[in-house]
Amino acid sequence: MNYFAGVDIGSTMTKVVIIGDSIVASLIGPTGPEHRKLANKVMEDALNQAHLKFEDLSYIVATGYGRINVPFADRQITEITCHAKGLHSLLPTAKTIVDIGGQDSKGIKIKDGRVHNFVMNDKCAAGTGRFLEVIAESLNVPLVRLGELSLTAVKAAEISSTCTVFAEHEITNQLANGESLANLVAGVHLSVATRVCSLVKKMTIEQDIAITGGGAKNIGLIRALEAKFGCPVLVPPEPLITGALGAALMGKEIFEKFAEEGQTPTRSGRGLEEARLFL
Amino acid sequence: MTELRDGNALPSAEKYYEEYGLRAKELKAAGKKVIGYLTALGPVEIMTAAGVVPIRLKGNVSEPITKGDAYMETIVCPFVRNVFDAAVKGKYAFLDGMVLPHQCDSIDRTNDVWSSSLKLPYWHFLNVPHVTDDPSIEFMREILRVFISTLEKFTGKKITDEAIAQAVKSHNENRLLMRELYSLRKSDPPLISGVEMMKVLVAAMSLPVKESSALIRSIAKEVKQRKTPSVEKRARIMLVGDQIDDAAIVDAIEGAGASLVMDGLSIGSKMYWGDVDVTSDPVQGIAERYLRKLKIPTTFVGAGNTYQENLEARFGLMKQHIGEFKVNGVILFIYKYCDPYGFEVPAIKSFIESTGVPVLYLEDEYSTSTLARVKTRIEAFLEMIA
Amino acid sequence: MISISFGLHGKREGETIAPIKCREDDHMAEDKKPRALATQAAAKIAKFVKGNLSATLKAKEEGKKVAYAYIADGQDEIMRAMDIVPAWGESFAGVCAAKRDAEKYLQKAEADNFSRSLCTYATCTIGFDMMREELKGEPVPGAPWGGMARPDMILGSGQLLCDPRFKWPQATQHYLQDVPVFVGSMYYPPFDPNVDHKEQEKFYVKYATEELRELVKFCEKHTGKKMDRDRLAALVDLSDKTWDLFIDTYELRKAVPTPMDTGDAMNTMVPFTFNLGTQEAYDFYKDLYDELKQKIAEKKGVADDEKYRVLWAAGLPSWFALGDFQYFNEKGVVFPVEVTYRGGEKIERLGLPKTNDPLEHIAWRWVRYWTHWYDKARKRPGSIPKVERIIEYIEDYECDGAVFHSAFSCRSWHAGIIHQAETLKRVYKDIPVLIMEGDIVDISSYNEADTHNRIDAFIETLEAAKKRHN
Repeated sequence: MNYFAGVDIGSTMTKVVIIGDSIVASLIGPTGPEHRKLANKVMEDALNQAHLKFEDLSYIVATGYGRINVPFADRQITEITCHAKGLHSLLPTAKTIVDIGGQDSKGIKIKDGRVHNFVMNDKCAAGTGRFLEVIAESLNVPLVRLGELSLTAVKAAEISSTCTVFAEHEITNQLANGESLANLVAGVHLSVATRVCSLVKKMTIEQDIAITGGGAKNIGLIRALEAKFGCPVLVPPEPLITGALGAALMGKEIFEKFAEEGQTPTRSGRGLEEARLFL
Repeated sequence: MTELRDGNALPSAEKYYEEYGLRAKELKAAGKKVIGYLTALGPVEIMTAAGVVPIRLKGNVSEPITKGDAYMETIVCPFVRNVFDAAVKGKYAFLDGMVLPHQCDSIDRTNDVWSSSLKLPYWHFLNVPHVTDDPSIEFMREILRVFISTLEKFTGKKITDEAIAQAVKSHNENRLLMRELYSLRKSDPPLISGVEMMKVLVAAMSLPVKESSALIRSIAKEVKQRKTPSVEKRARIMLVGDQIDDAAIVDAIEGAGASLVMDGLSIGSKMYWGDVDVTSDPVQGIAERYLRKLKIPTTFVGAGNTYQENLEARFGLMKQHIGEFKVNGVILFIYKYCDPYGFEVPAIKSFIESTGVPVLYLEDEYSTSTLARVKTRIEAFLEMIA
Repeated sequence: MISISFGLHGKREGETIAPIKCREDDHMAEDKKPRALATQAAAKIAKFVKGNLSATLKAKEEGKKVAYAYIADGQDEIMRAMDIVPAWGESFAGVCAAKRDAEKYLQKAEADNFSRSLCTYATCTIGFDMMREELKGEPVPGAPWGGMARPDMILGSGQLLCDPRFKWPQATQHYLQDVPVFVGSMYYPPFDPNVDHKEQEKFYVKYATEELRELVKFCEKHTGKKMDRDRLAALVDLSDKTWDLFIDTYELRKAVPTPMDTGDAMNTMVPFTFNLGTQEAYDFYKDLYDELKQKIAEKKGVADDEKYRVLWAAGLPSWFALGDFQYFNEKGVVFPVEVTYRGGEKIERLGLPKTNDPLEHIAWRWVRYWTHWYDKARKRPGSIPKVERIIEYIEDYECDGAVFHSAFSCRSWHAGIIHQAETLKRVYKDIPVLIMEGDIVDISSYNEADTHNRIDAFIETLEAAKKRHN
């Protein structure tokens, strides 16, 4: 049995997935400034979870914002390709993927199981998880509750600002003028959904639409997206790991391609121990 | 000039790339007059004929714009702003003058800001038209004549038709040599890397024409002696845009495992394709070349009886290059706040895609501060087309 | 000098923006006061604007051709002489912006990769064009007054007014591929303190005239009609008279208190800008002239208590925020004069050479309009023609200060404003200056409360300057 690992170092979370025939381990930890240290730690924990040793891994792919900082990875592949791969394995009917992360948002079109087109917004906080974080903090509502709260709204308040900083103040103002918290929170979700929809519309949107990334854990955001797209948005079982899963699957694909020609791919030659020297 | 011996041509180019303006400063110290210009519309033949040293200006993508912001709005083209910032910071203090061709609003509307901030002994705004019909050619000749007379006044020397004809010859030769160097990128993989080529292009635009030709010749000689390395197949990418003049983005492309085999840049193929025809009035040939042969978005091309024919007239050369250089992916890198390129994006993108070649459209600044984001997009694009 | 940033669209890295509150796009319906127009004539403008749009919609059944056209390209008389109905994208986008309903068009254009930093007159109109094409000729729901008809031709110009004038037509053709596009040229000599521009005027005029001839040929080809030269000459004559009347009327605003403000002028410019070469336009200014004369006789000013007179020194206004002029007025600040959309001059001041060719006359008129400030600029070291114009207006209209508006999507009119303000202070005098930043059509960077704060601060500098002066 060959085992493959995918390491996804996002801006806020680090995820590791190990697969054999199926997922044998998956772990999520918070990313700190020291990606390398944490990548090692999460990998170790994942190996423990799977009852495997590092040497049991046949190929390791790193993805995400911090993918360059995983010395033991054999290949770096962008999160676009990995999310597409991972999502496709979980939801094969999805043709359009929306990925709303902590610091960026993406749209990915899948055709025949591969990335066909993609768009990204990583310049502007509006339309990303950051917007929701800022608002949650400003309104003193735990981020995890923001989505449910938005669903209790009577009507989503309109927030015309396309800028996170301005919107924060616009919301405080509206609150002071008597607007309900739930309506405002719904408005915030609608705002993010509008920005994301605008971004994704740069590609032709085809159903099924699926969501991944941190945004997929927010029921309010999902509903808002469904309202904007006018159709259901599918949610994979564990959205945070789709990138790491995809990375592991890419590793498997690469390994098997080489195996077809009776070869093995070049490895990084680095082990977990070596990386510890940087601690 | 550093004597070009075998084996030191590329290092020479590298030096002129790293220390931009080095040669111009040397020549200035030796008593020559140095005139800076912006854009591929700079009429180098006339400056060469006048006996001055033309140097095409560039900025520095690693340098944040600071001083320039006090004089020039931030809605101006990021490239123009960056070069202006470099100029007010003294990077071009060695210039005796500048000629600003009317390429676009960002240049036309800031002409006053440039001239009053830099206060150079010689200043000229070359009012190049945006249209290419016969009256425009006639008009272009007139404004070139005005330019010639201001240069004559400045240098104290008459610029004869013979001198211009000679300069035309030298610059045509220079363009031909550069095109020959480009052809060494047709092999798979190319004999000269994209990073190396970028450095050559930048070095070349800072040298007087004969020295530029000598440099290109030597480089071609060195490169031809290389053996085609046997490596795994890499994507063959073409970079299209205006003035991209730093190895950083090329490095991002080649570092991701692709080869940059061709460009559609204003310091690259746009500058070196299309020679000046030899005409009895040499200024006529120059007018025709800069208006009709140079294909840049600020020159309106109205040719063609149908929209498709018009696209061919505008982008046909690009298509030809894609075919000749076996390009399998195009990166369209356009600066923000750029109307001339910005309005063309849907047309260029769909034209290239209709030839079966995928396009990555990037809108960015003239800066390396956003390079990490650019890299991710390029990598994802390369993974997608693999 | 106060520099305002509302938050340029697409902030640069590391830039901190002062937090400001934003206004909902939807407020228009509820609490937006209709902008009180000081003149009755200005109140009639809606009729002109609506009339221009509906003329395009009726054109086909009237057997006329519709041309997408752009202002001040010297093409008005030629179009009108051939009964070509102009469809003005700049007006359409202005109306969408004034109704605060431009965002959907901007987003449509953005969806096809038009950058948000491009001219928003253009992207708003192109977004509309894209929607109209998708609906295959059915009206676009929500378009103001039915929107514009699909054009039979597009008449652009590579003239010095702006780059979008030839890129926008070309970009539009990508969606209307069967529509022929003409792009001409109409340059004027650049200002160079060391060069006598008069030596160059001749070949500039020759060039512009030839380009106008090409336009005539194009229009003849695509209308199947021949140009009636007498009719053309009569319309050029009429537009000359309109230029004169327009300026005569506006010069009435020199009166103290001023009877009309820039807020109105952004409406009253419509006939001159979009209906030049028509009797209706001329008659409009006759009525406005009479009305202003009446107001002056009755000493009726724009503000109840006119405290400060300010020049609108440069920049297209934010069409969605014309109400800000009212805010100024309520504080006793009036704008008796503006540079924007005052694209005419008294013909006699231009010293135009006589010609029998109406096209050559148009060309001379255009070239001289721009160059007639050059000699003044040459005489004042360090000055530039745009600043001479500003100085002329400050003196003629007795202004205490100047306001500039920098629109982020328009380099053509807004790059160089810092320099103009700085030059003005350097070569003339240190008068209070305000530079506002926003956009012509894109409301997403605008904030009313913040704008009002900045205006208040500027008024304080006007007060301080007046105190120092007295």
